Amino acid sequence: MARTGFPRPSEMEYPPELQGWEEMYPPYYLFSPERAQWEDRQFWYHDKIHAPDPMYPWDLIFHEAWQISLSQYNTRVFCIPPAQGVAQRMVGCYMFICAVEPPPPELIQKKAEFFQKRVFYVFEHFDELYQEWLKKFRALGDSLEELSIPKELPGFEPDEVVFPAPRGYFTSFEIMDAYDRLVNAVIKGWQYHFEYLNLSYLGYLMFADTCRKLFPGISESTIGKLVAGAVVTMYRPEEELCKLARLASTMPSVKAVLGNDDPPAAKLQALSKTMEGREWLRHLEEVKRPWFYASCGSGWFHYEGSWINRMEVPFSYLRSYVERLDRGERIERYLEEIEKERERMAEEYRKLIPNEDDRKAFEDAYRTCRTIYRYAEDHLFWVEHWFHTIVFEKMWQLADLLKRYGMLEEADDLFLFNRFEVPMIIEDMVTAYALGEGVPARAAFWKQKASKRRAILKAARSWSPPPALGTVPEEIAEPFTVMLWGVTSEKVDEWLKAGTVSPEEVTEVKGFASSAGTVEGKARVIKLLEEITSIEPGEILVCPTTNPSWAPVFTKIKAVVTDIGGLTSHAAIVCREYGLPAVTGVGIATGVIKTGDLIRVNGDKGVVTLLERA
Amino acid sequence: MSRIVWLDQLGKEHVVLVGGKNASLGELMRAGIPVPPGFALTTHAYQEFVTASGLQGKINQILNDMDQKDPASMEKASLEIRALMEGAPISMEVEDDIGEAYRRLSRMCQVPALPVAVRSSATAEDLSDASFAGQQDTFLWIRGMDDLLLHVKRCWSSLFSARAIGYRVRMGFSHEGVSISVGIQKMVNSWNAGVMFTLDPATGDLSRIVIDANWGFGESVVSGECTPDQFVVDKVSMQIISRTISRKHCYFTTDPETQSVIKVPIPEERQENQCMLDEDVVNLAQIGKAVEAHYGRPMDIEWAIDKDLMAPGNVLILQSRPETVWSQRKTGPLLGKKSGLDLLMERAMKPFRVGD
Repeated sequence: MARTGFPRPSEMEYPPELQGWEEMYPPYYLFSPERAQWEDRQFWYHDKIHAPDPMYPWDLIFHEAWQISLSQYNTRVFCIPPAQGVAQRMVGCYMFICAVEPPPPELIQKKAEFFQKRVFYVFEHFDELYQEWLKKFRALGDSLEELSIPKELPGFEPDEVVFPAPRGYFTSFEIMDAYDRLVNAVIKGWQYHFEYLNLSYLGYLMFADTCRKLFPGISESTIGKLVAGAVVTMYRPEEELCKLARLASTMPSVKAVLGNDDPPAAKLQALSKTMEGREWLRHLEEVKRPWFYASCGSGWFHYEGSWINRMEVPFSYLRSYVERLDRGERIERYLEEIEKERERMAEEYRKLIPNEDDRKAFEDAYRTCRTIYRYAEDHLFWVEHWFHTIVFEKMWQLADLLKRYGMLEEADDLFLFNRFEVPMIIEDMVTAYALGEGVPARAAFWKQKASKRRAILKAARSWSPPPALGTVPEEIAEPFTVMLWGVTSEKVDEWLKAGTVSPEEVTEVKGFASSAGTVEGKARVIKLLEEITSIEPGEILVCPTTNPSWAPVFTKIKAVVTDIGGLTSHAAIVCREYGLPAVTGVGIATGVIKTGDLIRVNGDKGVVTLLERA
Repeated sequence: MSRIVWLDQLGKEHVVLVGGKNASLGELMRAGIPVPPGFALTTHAYQEFVTASGLQGKINQILNDMDQKDPASMEKASLEIRALMEGAPISMEVEDDIGEAYRRLSRMCQVPALPVAVRSSATAEDLSDASFAGQQDTFLWIRGMDDLLLHVKRCWSSLFSARAIGYRVRMGFSHEGVSISVGIQKMVNSWNAGVMFTLDPATGDLSRIVIDANWGFGESVVSGECTPDQFVVDKVSMQIISRTISRKHCYFTTDPETQSVIKVPIPEERQENQCMLDEDVVNLAQIGKAVEAHYGRPMDIEWAIDKDLMAPGNVLILQSRPETVWSQRKTGPLLGKKSGLDLLMERAMKPFRVGD
């Protein structure tokens, strides 16, 4: 069912206020005449899940890394037979992706042999392989954390790098080297990221298929419930907070400090003055690394911040946890009950299968999927949260240094340069420094570029690209495209429709039916974590994505709508636990819905209806 | 030879004595399923009636004279037999037994001259090899002894409705091989009623419970007089997966004046309202699950929600029988002998059509 109606990439035109956007990104990220034939033949769509907003050039690094990594596991390593990679292009500051057309048929057979040999091995040895992965990945993050970015360009190098023998390399090289290592760590970390993720998704899809063969009407959210584990690393930050809150509630002086309105620094100061406070701080220090390395957002963007550098976030949660404990409420998730419920459901489905062979196949499919699906749940904390927190921490240190020596107007401007341009700014600065006193760098050139790019990004925010470009394929074999982006003909039709209406005219948006139930209520659109305090009880939370650092808010709200995330996203899982309806992965919810709008969330069908505009 | 047996004394082993419908009501009660209280008039009572008044001979005569190939002749025979039966007296002994049981039931429910449902229950009905379902009559909202006796006779005579005669002729059953029992139960004062399948009748999916519902008595749903609301509940998670709210133009209820069942039109603005509360839907599905668990097979159930009772005890089961369509299909394995890795390979080889 070939659909037409999307523009061809080679025909794309951009508004004049975006002029110059192309130079912000690597050249191979642009549609180009010499590749037009291939590009026009593919189906490109805006990746609203990972890149809903115009892309800061440096933040593109994670995408550059995943484009290579995700794709090579499909094509060269685990060889998912009919699947190729996922390619990316920038379309006026917005990132578009496509599942590359399938390989020639004879190659599919060849790949099947590799797949069988390699993938079956992974599934059979997954438990020990996962332990290996964890060791290796944590070592990578630890080594990045140890990377030191010089705080200053010293007037003279200190004695200790000269005596007893000159070290041979000095601050100028250290800065250049630190940045290169940082970039390499990011690329490598993302190579690790997909080590088992494609296979986890494939395992999930296999189990979903199996369920649907046996129970044609089974809902996607039920399958999600059967697969999701209760003990997931992503929840550890929240669990550690609960423990800290419980400890605090036995310490009157600590409780008093946590309950006051002081900023984090003053709180820490006050706590260090009492015996009890010092005792509590010792516990805090023990868990801070790694568990406070939780992004306040999705982990994809430099401006989101993490608990560790925005301590007001965990402190505000601690305060509400302590208050809830005072009221005699339980703050922890009911892990055992959740596990029990999952096991009960799996057992009931098993019993509903009349044929013995089918029952055995179902059991084995379930076991196979559950074995590896842990990876999909657990890698998220380690990569997108813990590792990215360290990456951004280092980048901000570098940005502060460049600002301090006048290369940038604002530290944030560093992220307006792509990862290949940053070494030039560094080199420009250290060259001038090496040349001696009174030698100018081209700081004005970089500052001008930054302000021009800031204007382009701003203009891009008020421009909407077409939802898709190119040729709609008849089949898709790439697991992420199916599961993560949920590309279905329904979605494609919706994109076709979306291209013709303005956000104000939209009356209905669709996403994943992640948690059952239907409710109506007032929307509260939250784009940044700090706005979370504005939520009134009984409102419906509409946000880009949630993560465990948002957990305490779930007891206040009626339902959740997110732009980013599938059936096993944090919002989906927590909503199922709390019995709140949820529609996730809508992509355009925060753009279309405004705070105060009356909306209906149907978590059975994955539909959000705008009933009344505020 | 007892003429009366209380429903809670019955079980599936009593089909010959009280017919399939009554036996299964007893079976449900035994399993702790809420069923409106009542008693069964056994097949002995029927046999006594047709032998005592010398009816059987006359009935046989009429049936022998009937032309089995001529619908009009069968129609005529039916009318004759039914008039004969409904005009014949019931013996004092049988009448006394019915009267005593009826008064006891009225006392039990604390309603004088308790309104009851009077249902036929043929002794071959609901057996999987011969479905007599719906061939015998049911009378609702019957009050007082005289009326009750009249409708008992009407139930008995429904064994000789033109349809029942025709069916037996077609299937080659003897007219003498069947007997009939009558069930007398408290009339449910139903706020909602309808039908429930403990599988998806459209797909055979065993993980779903499908409920058709309307306001008032279930007759509007059973007879197809009105398009009901449909709810699909996931049997495992017990969540309502989908709901289809239909335009319901009428429902059946009792006319307080005449104490009879009447069809009432539903005003335009209410037609597309959901007729049933979500919690009642889930409650009912739970009971459906229990019925299925008791019988160990998917079931087809008639139910009602009694407005005189408090939730959750207000959901009552009126009758249940094994689902026949999907249960009789010989389904082979859907997956077959496969390991998780086999299934993984299958999944990996198969692209998704954009359109799945």
